[in-house]
Amino acid sequence: MTWIRRALHKSQAEKSLDKELQFHLDRQIADYIAAGMPPEEARRRARLEFGGLDRVKEEVRDTRWETHLDNLFRDFRYAFRGIKRDRRFAFIAILALALGIGASTVAFSAFYNLLFSAFAAKDANRLVVFSLQNAEKGVLPELNLTPLGGSLSDVDAIRSQSQVFEEIVGYHRGITLLRDGNDIHQVHTASVTSNAFDFYGVPPLLGRGITPADGMAKSSPVFVMSYKTWKGEFHSDPAILGKSFLVDDTPRTLIGIMPPRFQAYGALVQIWTPITGSPDTKGADPAMSVDTMMARLKPGVTLETASADLDVIVKSLAKNHQNNFPKHFSARVLSATDFMMGPYGIGSAGGPETQHFDIKRMLYALLAGAIILLLIACSNVANLLLARATVREKEIAVRAALGATRSRLIQQLIVESFTLASGACVLGCIFAYGGMKGVTALIPAKGASIGGEAVVGLDWQVLLFALVVTALTTILCGLAPALYTVRRDLQPSLAGSDRAANATFRRGRLRAGIVIGEVALCILLLTGAGLMMRSFFLLTHIDLGFNMDHLLFVAFDNPHSEGDGPGQEAIYLQKIVERLKALPGVSDVAINNSLPGYNPGVRHEVSVPGSSYVERVGMDGCSENLPQVLGLQLTSGSWLTEGDVTGARQVAVINQTMALHFFGGEDPVGRQFTVKATAIKGHTPQDADFQVIGVLRDVKDFGPQVPVIPMAFVPHTVTDALLGGGGVLFIRTKVAPASLMHAVKEEVWMFDREVIFSPQSGPYVDTFYWLTYSAHEFGLMTFAPLAGIALLLVVIGVFSVMAYDVSLRTHEIGVRMALGAQQDNILKMVLVRGARMVAAGIIIGLFVSYGLTRFLASQVWGVSTADPWTFGVVAIFAIFAGLVACYIPARRATRLDPMAALRYE
Amino acid sequence: MPEPKTELLRGTLDLLILKVVALGPSHGYAIAQRLRQISNDFFQIHQGSLYPALHRLEDRGWLQAEWKESETGREAKFYSLTRKGRRQMDAEVAEWERLCDAVGLFLRAPGEES
Repeated sequence: MTWIRRALHKSQAEKSLDKELQFHLDRQIADYIAAGMPPEEARRRARLEFGGLDRVKEEVRDTRWETHLDNLFRDFRYAFRGIKRDRRFAFIAILALALGIGASTVAFSAFYNLLFSAFAAKDANRLVVFSLQNAEKGVLPELNLTPLGGSLSDVDAIRSQSQVFEEIVGYHRGITLLRDGNDIHQVHTASVTSNAFDFYGVPPLLGRGITPADGMAKSSPVFVMSYKTWKGEFHSDPAILGKSFLVDDTPRTLIGIMPPRFQAYGALVQIWTPITGSPDTKGADPAMSVDTMMARLKPGVTLETASADLDVIVKSLAKNHQNNFPKHFSARVLSATDFMMGPYGIGSAGGPETQHFDIKRMLYALLAGAIILLLIACSNVANLLLARATVREKEIAVRAALGATRSRLIQQLIVESFTLASGACVLGCIFAYGGMKGVTALIPAKGASIGGEAVVGLDWQVLLFALVVTALTTILCGLAPALYTVRRDLQPSLAGSDRAANATFRRGRLRAGIVIGEVALCILLLTGAGLMMRSFFLLTHIDLGFNMDHLLFVAFDNPHSEGDGPGQEAIYLQKIVERLKALPGVSDVAINNSLPGYNPGVRHEVSVPGSSYVERVGMDGCSENLPQVLGLQLTSGSWLTEGDVTGARQVAVINQTMALHFFGGEDPVGRQFTVKATAIKGHTPQDADFQVIGVLRDVKDFGPQVPVIPMAFVPHTVTDALLGGGGVLFIRTKVAPASLMHAVKEEVWMFDREVIFSPQSGPYVDTFYWLTYSAHEFGLMTFAPLAGIALLLVVIGVFSVMAYDVSLRTHEIGVRMALGAQQDNILKMVLVRGARMVAAGIIIGLFVSYGLTRFLASQVWGVSTADPWTFGVVAIFAIFAGLVACYIPARRATRLDPMAALRYE
Repeated sequence: MPEPKTELLRGTLDLLILKVVALGPSHGYAIAQRLRQISNDFFQIHQGSLYPALHRLEDRGWLQAEWKESETGREAKFYSLTRKGRRQMDAEVAEWERLCDAVGLFLRAPGEES
């Protein structure tokens, strides 16, 4: 390790070299004297022969390793000085690169984490969920694909017959009350098969998870709590472990707290309880059945193989209890990610409402956006460096002429680029970190459609990738001047007379080409974001047909409905309505069994006597004041009277769509229709005839994105069997609805301690907004910043190219001014040059967008993916941004002093 | 002062130095002298090439250096061959001989004219 020693004792090495060379010289002199030469002559001759002590020393030093290190340090010092001298260039380059690194890393990390590490479970990529594909005709889209449920014996049967699954678990979710002395907590629960915790493989934070022993019939009842609930409602008190709570009126012992990254079996679940007892073969006990089954595939088994295997087993099971299955169906497995985020995101905690939005496709769009952004950032820097290279040609030529070797020049340029790149990398990491915080905050707060377990953090591999790509670009482009200079004759560069020479001109064209490409890519991102924005605007400004301002929505199940006789439910509800009406701040309370604008509760097949037309119609059970409370409008006839409701008369108000479908152009008022019986909750099925008394203006009853379906509004008292029970109250308030929520809950609990409220209860605007728009909003909020940053980068790109262009043409501009060109002419000349580049980019970008935006089709609603308005606005926006970027350098050009410009070199 | 007869082939100097040092530890001046003597003044080694070469070979671990008293009583830097250096020299000699054989064969081969 001589070099280490030498590096440490550099002066010693120098002394040693001196001594060595001096010895050589002295010996030579001595030899010459010995040969008879006079001493003076001998010394002169030896020196001459030696050829300069210092040069020899320099060459010896060059063989050493530490000299290269020395040069490297010198290059770094030079690079820093260069950056300090040309601050604007360095600032722009570093900022542009850092923005690109930051934004693309954040976008790609979000994509990767949400899509590929959405679950904390072990071997999560082999997790699948069983689903049923209903093949019956005329089935509503949300019923098309449903999770496969069944009894525990079904689970056992699938487990014993299949060859492809390692293990199968089942669960069903619900909402229940958790009582701790006098405190009541309303919690989301999941009842899981006792193997579910072993299956998932995430160790508990405190205590233990549910084990197969907890599933035995005689074992003591236990439950496990989520971290969020433990922290939020029990203040992270470790003492509650081992305590007994009343869960749904059963005493259960809390045995474990799960870590934050455990949201298995339903993203909202707060407590997990084991399903206890041995599977009963009839599958009649609802407590012994599950509504979702999850499995882990054996390694190497494909989804297709598993689906085929499952289909056979489930079809044989279906023969035993046909009532539980559709007439025609196929069973298949969905990967857990698809189940949660795919086009049939049926597992989302928000229920079937959120399924219209395909998160997975949106994430892919996001990924594409990130890649485009990185491309823009890289081409931007390439451009800056190429422009700078043109300016530095002379400097490099001088260095080469003074004897700098090619490798030395290249090394110096690499060091300079490297300095820039590392500055950008550091800043890029900071941006990425900050951006990630922002995105995490944007993920739909209630965790509806996006996995609660996905830890959306920075992905280090992604960051590394972005860093490497940008660093490589920087260094390659930084090398351009060296490669260019060393290959050609230095003379013209030295003379400085070739600023307009062919070579430079060609490089100018390359730069212009890069700018055009950048603008085109940016247009692509902007049109994508524009379409999403416009779609979001349309979605939020749609006329739903009812008014949700000052509307408080309260939903709950009547806990006693099972034991009550017919008609008791209506009386129960009426009692609560009377109490609530008396609350201060409440102006009216109406009953309806569904959420208007969302998910009509019950659908039945309906026909009209004398016609063969049959269609499923949404049935809403309402009170007489519903139109006033919701702001519904009648187009003909009249609404239900109080007498209709209290008397449970079989009359109905139908919507325009139903009137059109069943009665064509005729006036439906006074006509009859028949509702085909469907068994609900064990009531005897019975057909029912209704008389139409009015027609209601269409209400977007299945969400703003779905065409209006036929609806009939009947008295809620008519029959429990028809309407399915449950209380949905709409309270029109005089004050802000949110402020009344607590009072309403207290009032209801004073009447009945057992009531469990739906988690969606609250101001209806909020509920509706969350159900409808949260996923769209997430898409827009992540995509729009990408487009914004892209635009900023492009402005920087155009600006820097134009600025360099102006500085290269200073001499020419001086000549033009001296020859009488006015400031306006100069301004126009520069602007036109910039505008031509931008315009070319925009045109290409629009064509590319036209071809590619169709991939966004699932993300946008209500606009064509080739929407001319969006395209137009984007183009105008880009032209404006481009002109601003050109204007500053153009202004600088007009302010040039012609005399100074003429002398400018 | 005699002009150098021929320019050394690239890399040949290293081999010659190794060969000289293989005869026994010697200092830079002695190496230069010996190179000239052995080659009958055919090689005129310039100091500007010799010393960088010596230091380079030392850096690579083929030579090792030691300050010792020289024949005149003055301290001088003596270079000697390391095991690694000897291996390198053997390899280079073999390579050189193969090259010479090949070129010789080629030159002796009957040409078109003869």
